[in-house]
Amino acid sequence: MPADKASLMIFGRKIAWQSALFLLISLAVALLVNQIRADGLELPGNWSPEFRVTTPSGEDITISLEEARSLGESGEAVFLDARPHSAYLEGHIPGAKSFPWLEFDQYFERVMTELPDDVTLITYCDGETCSLSKDLALMLIDMGFPDVRVLVNGWGIWRQHQLPVETGA
Amino acid sequence: MYPPLVIGLRIFLGIIFLYASWDKILNPGPFAEVVYNYQVLPDALINLTAIVLPWLELFLGLCLIFGLWLPGAVFLSNALLIVFFSTLLFNLARGLNVQCGCFSTSPTTIEGSAIKWYILRDFLFLAAALILFYQTYLRYRKKPLST
Repeated sequence: MPADKASLMIFGRKIAWQSALFLLISLAVALLVNQIRADGLELPGNWSPEFRVTTPSGEDITISLEEARSLGESGEAVFLDARPHSAYLEGHIPGAKSFPWLEFDQYFERVMTELPDDVTLITYCDGETCSLSKDLALMLIDMGFPDVRVLVNGWGIWRQHQLPVETGA
Repeated sequence: MYPPLVIGLRIFLGIIFLYASWDKILNPGPFAEVVYNYQVLPDALINLTAIVLPWLELFLGLCLIFGLWLPGAVFLSNALLIVFFSTLLFNLARGLNVQCGCFSTSPTTIEGSAIKWYILRDFLFLAAALILFYQTYLRYRKKPLST
């Protein structure tokens, strides 16, 4: 066997056993540390849409479409659209305020000063896996707003039920 | 002795991996959210990935910098960067707006030009890793069999 080929085989074998050991060691250390630390993650972990929308204390903050609609219609709740402003302009739940999560700081004062007191805030975005509405809701709860709920996949189910929508600002 | 190019690339990529791993090791919860937001893994694998990946990056970074287990470290670095780069392109192509969790778990806006910057940046990392892989391979090809 030529020296070239033999040394390449050595190279290939080294790649194989070293890569395998890297993965094994990382797996072992990572799982061990995850066991020990206080904020370790659960395995395999629950990523269902409902479970994701809980506060750190475990409180479920989701709201059903029916409840959200009736609160919205009676004026007891205000919808907050957590999607980018451009998506809001293309269409949103009637009466909803544009409050893009990714531009939280720019929108916070403007949106919050317009809101009546003692109103339920219902955040929504588009898609079951969309995290914008949950992130916005948790932030508002963290800031001390007591009554914040998430309408999971709000824009998606709103359109599925062919409810009226509003466009523009 | 390693040529300066190889040492430079090793330290460059090593620091990137160390830097990328640190915040994720400290904050596994937010990093799991980032993994989830990429929407490429089944739910059952999200937490496992969020737990193990940062440690793999840490060990790869250390070995790249100190020149240990280089064939394996360079190979896996390439594999990871290829996965990151293709996932980014895949999500761009299907229009999913992911919050890039490459270096930080704090919320940042990715719009238009920012995503292009991420792609350029990941491409540069991948190019550096590919050059390093080729150099590591050359070293083994040239090596006399006896050593």
